[in-house]
Amino acid sequence: MPTKRPSATPSSAPSPSPSTTPPTTLLSGPKTLSANASVSDIACNVWNQYLTTTPQRTMLLDAFMAFLVLVGGVQFAYCVVAGNYPFNAFLSGFCAAVGQFVLTASLRMQTSPSGSGEGEGNKSFSAAKAGKVVGDRSEGVKDGGVSHERAFADYIFGSLILHFFCINFIN
Amino acid sequence: MRWCPSLLLFGFLAAVNALSSSGNRLLVVLEDAEEKGSYSTLWGDLEGRGYNLIFESPKNEQLSLFELGDRAYDHILLLPPKSKGFGPSLSPKNLVDFMNSDGNVLLALSGKSTTPSAISSLLLEFDLHLSTDRSSVVVDHFNYDTLSASDKHDVLLLPRPGSLRPDTKNFFGGEGVLAFPSANPHTLGDNSLLAPILRAPTTAYSYNPKEDSNSVEEVFATGSQLALVSAMQARNSARFTLLGSVESLQDKWFSATVKAPGGNQAETANRDFAKQLTAWTFKETGVLKVGKIEHHLAKDDITVEDLNPSIYRIKNETVFSIEVSEYNYDRFIPFTVPTNDALQLEFTMLSPFHRLTLHPTATTANSTIYNTAFTVPDQHGIFSFRVNYKRPFLTYLEEKHEVTVRHYAHNEYPRSWKISGGWVWIAGLWSVVGGFLAFVFVWLYSVPASSVAKGKSKKMQ
Repeated sequence: MPTKRPSATPSSAPSPSPSTTPPTTLLSGPKTLSANASVSDIACNVWNQYLTTTPQRTMLLDAFMAFLVLVGGVQFAYCVVAGNYPFNAFLSGFCAAVGQFVLTASLRMQTSPSGSGEGEGNKSFSAAKAGKVVGDRSEGVKDGGVSHERAFADYIFGSLILHFFCINFIN
Repeated sequence: MRWCPSLLLFGFLAAVNALSSSGNRLLVVLEDAEEKGSYSTLWGDLEGRGYNLIFESPKNEQLSLFELGDRAYDHILLLPPKSKGFGPSLSPKNLVDFMNSDGNVLLALSGKSTTPSAISSLLLEFDLHLSTDRSSVVVDHFNYDTLSASDKHDVLLLPRPGSLRPDTKNFFGGEGVLAFPSANPHTLGDNSLLAPILRAPTTAYSYNPKEDSNSVEEVFATGSQLALVSAMQARNSARFTLLGSVESLQDKWFSATVKAPGGNQAETANRDFAKQLTAWTFKETGVLKVGKIEHHLAKDDITVEDLNPSIYRIKNETVFSIEVSEYNYDRFIPFTVPTNDALQLEFTMLSPFHRLTLHPTATTANSTIYNTAFTVPDQHGIFSFRVNYKRPFLTYLEEKHEVTVRHYAHNEYPRSWKISGGWVWIAGLWSVVGGFLAFVFVWLYSVPASSVAKGKSKKMQ
């Protein structure tokens, strides 16, 4: 865990936490690639980079999303192969997987520290905003000005509604 | 004294036994009372079958077909008038009114006298057409009686009629030859209520004897275009029969010996044919009656409450049965559908969703029970069971019974796990739910250490 921590903290770049290592760690990984590296090397590098730089919670989210993709894919393939006879069962099973995926993806957007450049901009903006409004930025406040706890509670709430509808619809 | 009531009962039974299905008051319109004698066998036959014959002259001013707004007679037998018409009480309108109130009419014409225009206009009401001169005679140089009309060739000899179509009952068939002296021919319009009973042979033609020309220049119709006997059954099943030759009903022709050219001498079958014709016209034959109609769900133990429900559900298995009798001279007998024909049930909402053949399943002493089973269509609404059986020479059957067809109640659908095809999706849904719970559990127990540390450091600050 501690190996990943440093990568998590720099994302909250403007934070004044003293333990922050310089952003160079983002590029750290096992090694830097040469310009003419092979495809497998690149893939390996990306994977290793992912393993080393991704926080544990984000990896958990990614694993769950991969599981949902798998479940949804299996259900869709079964529908294509075996027909859609109890169509409501197909709809609710497949939509549960898709909906859960969407909800999980939004949770990841709200909690994952690393993101695209836009995300960085957002972060700095939101951080500035938070700084303005709250004055003292609390630790939980991250992207979009929503704390992890709040995002997770929203996620639970949305998921329960989704499950309620799907279970009722599958009858 | 003791046998008096029994004799009375016997007489009553005899009267009841041989009776038309629609009453026995038969009005015979006969202009010339002297002519009555020449039809004595016919009158005897009719009275023997239970008819109460009332002879009237068309000139009688008191004659009225209706009494207090009701029919005064059940049937009318019209013999051709000598004068210009039947008089005011038997105008075409009155006769049509009589038929509209379920009376039956047998009209006999003759080629010997000119048919009055009143009768011609009556026939036009039924789409039956006489020749324009109204005094034609059918002549056939190949099927005439050599004994009585060796010169004029106007006594036609015909075989008994066969059935009109392969899928109709034949009420007029039998053995023997029919003699039609000086028959007045007619043609049939394009009307589904009309049915020819007897057509002229293909070699016959119509000829006006009053025109003293040896050659026929303009023929009205020839061959089997000419009908000699035709029937019209109105929509209320009232019957009208047109007989081209009144002479064929005379005693003389009931038991005449005739000889076709090149044939053998034979007795005419006119008496039998006259019986069939009057019996059919006066509703002694070909009268259908519907008895019990039952419909219910297809299950084994049917109680009285289960019969004829007013509501069904879509996709119900349903059984429909109808009891049909046919009147045959003096009683109801089980009705059998002619071969090549079918009695059909329609389950209809605006248009039939099902049209099914009803099959005979049981026979009682005087009826046949027809039955069919089907699945109610997947469409809710107001449906009706309809039996619509309209055939020539049979009274029309039209039965309509409305029922409501409802959709499934929400608790009548099978539960999801009953359908094995959906098990994969059910498993998928529950694996999503289970995966979600596991994810939440792991998430809650993987609080990032750094944030914990930060919290601590914050506290320390």
